[in-house]
Amino acid sequence: MIAENIMVTNIVTARVDEAVDHALARMRDARLRMIPVVGDDAEIVGVISTFSVLEKVVPSYIVTGDLNHIPYAPDIGILRRHYDEISTLSIAAIMDKNPLTVQRDESLLSVAAAMVSYTKHEYAMVVDDQKRLLGIISAGDVLDRMKRDDDDA
Amino acid sequence: MHNTVEHTSSVIFGMDPTWMAVSILLVVYAFIMAEKFNRAVLSLLGAGLMILCGVITQEQAIAGIDFNTIGLLTGMMVIVAISQKTGMFQYVAIKAAKAVKGNPWGILVMLSIVTAVFSAFLDNVTTVLLIAPVTLLITDALGVRPYPYLFAQILASNVGGTATLIGDPPNIMIGSAANLSFMDFLLNLAPITPVIFLMMIVAIWFMFGRDLHATDENKALVMRFDENEAIKDVPLLKKSLMVLFLVITGFTMAHSLHLEPASIAMFGAALLLLLQTFGQTLEEKDHAYEGIMADVEWTTIFFFVGLFIVVTGVEHTGVIEMLATKTLELTGGDFNATVGAILWVSAIASALIDNIPFVATMIPLIQSMAPSFGGADAIVPLWWALALGACLGGNGSLIGASANLIVAGFAQRAGHPIQFLVFMKHAFGLMLISITIAHVYIYFRYLS
Repeated sequence: MIAENIMVTNIVTARVDEAVDHALARMRDARLRMIPVVGDDAEIVGVISTFSVLEKVVPSYIVTGDLNHIPYAPDIGILRRHYDEISTLSIAAIMDKNPLTVQRDESLLSVAAAMVSYTKHEYAMVVDDQKRLLGIISAGDVLDRMKRDDDDA
Repeated sequence: MHNTVEHTSSVIFGMDPTWMAVSILLVVYAFIMAEKFNRAVLSLLGAGLMILCGVITQEQAIAGIDFNTIGLLTGMMVIVAISQKTGMFQYVAIKAAKAVKGNPWGILVMLSIVTAVFSAFLDNVTTVLLIAPVTLLITDALGVRPYPYLFAQILASNVGGTATLIGDPPNIMIGSAANLSFMDFLLNLAPITPVIFLMMIVAIWFMFGRDLHATDENKALVMRFDENEAIKDVPLLKKSLMVLFLVITGFTMAHSLHLEPASIAMFGAALLLLLQTFGQTLEEKDHAYEGIMADVEWTTIFFFVGLFIVVTGVEHTGVIEMLATKTLELTGGDFNATVGAILWVSAIASALIDNIPFVATMIPLIQSMAPSFGGADAIVPLWWALALGACLGGNGSLIGASANLIVAGFAQRAGHPIQFLVFMKHAFGLMLISITIAHVYIYFRYLS
């Protein structure tokens, strides 16, 4: 079993110069939490996820301070203010520039190991030699292979 | 002191140990100022070179480390690492902000007082690390720019830290070297700090306070913060407060009991480490201990270890005695002039360089002046001048104290970076006024 046998090829992508709220709208329509970001030659340049947008919306002085749990704070409008600031930016400003990429001929074991070792990435981007996106493998796609008894996974 | 040379390392290649020691110190200090490498690594490298090059032996190096300073710092770091988990700092900050009904100027004053008081008893870095993010939450709720608040907190942390033996690392080093007790600091330095604090608050009113406005809606938002939710662990809070109370009471009595503050801080730390995990399984206890140990700033501790050795190396060559003699020649051997010189030079130096290596070097220098002025008791005002200069001088620039940089880091993350020159424009003058106040205080209390 190799990567290109498992990957999903019907992919929603975002372009690197697209506005953040555009990409979010398409993710909402497609019910996706994460989509790859591609450049002019269909090469993968990053990924954008609802989580990575949320990370930018929460003030970083809270996340990096000793405040990470603040049950005493009411809504002070800061989330909306930050969202308004970033929603019209291009995706390049907030995307994760280091997505997990794997080669099309990597084994299922290799892909699964890479996902687990590569924290926070439950998706692997399958790319060719020019870094062009061929497909996506999710953690769920890997687990689906475990259910079939006809395979060598 | 100099008869041990035959036992030292022979790696020195026939070079003059005085020249060697001074070069090591200057190169290490230059690299520390350049801030390109970790300061603990630099000081340990310097310490190693002092021994490898044969300036001092390993035994002399170890003897030069002031374990009272190390123990006091480590002990307090452990106690703070545990008590900060209770949420009591956030509780006090929110309570203070609500006590003035969300009034923006009132909040600035209250948070500054909270910062000053916490800084007096705990280390300044921890204090601002806990208060600055809450301040940003509150200023975001108020819809005001955070700069005046953070500016006031930087000043407050350095002024508060001046007040006690444990408030600021220079005071810990001075107290340990000159055998001055917690009460000595409280009786001699604490009385002047409220005056300096008040001067700064009045100045901040004229600089920024007059222009701070918030809508009633935003004030109401601040009143909706619930301080009771800030307390994360009531049993741990009780234990922490009890140990803090015991330790501070211990500090006030230490001198009459012939105890060093480090023994009290380390014992308090051990006691709180035991109490915090009472009733847990061994595995949970080990996990908790490791977490606390990771929170102790070992970088700072090792920085001190290395620094003490570097300074000991230079001390051994007699260069510091020579510098002291030169200083006394400059001041004409006049005590008042020497006090003034130490106060002002310490202030300016601490505004521009790390005050810890500066004070580490000044301590042996002042000690070797003692015979000229009639012994250890006679030079006590020199220690107060050094403490006031080194602690208050930290307000002179953004790099004057570690706490300043921590606050600047938070300001940056909140999208309101504090510019180096803007801060200096606002703060340097205030620092000079505070040193003038300190000078007048020292003059009337000790010199006239």
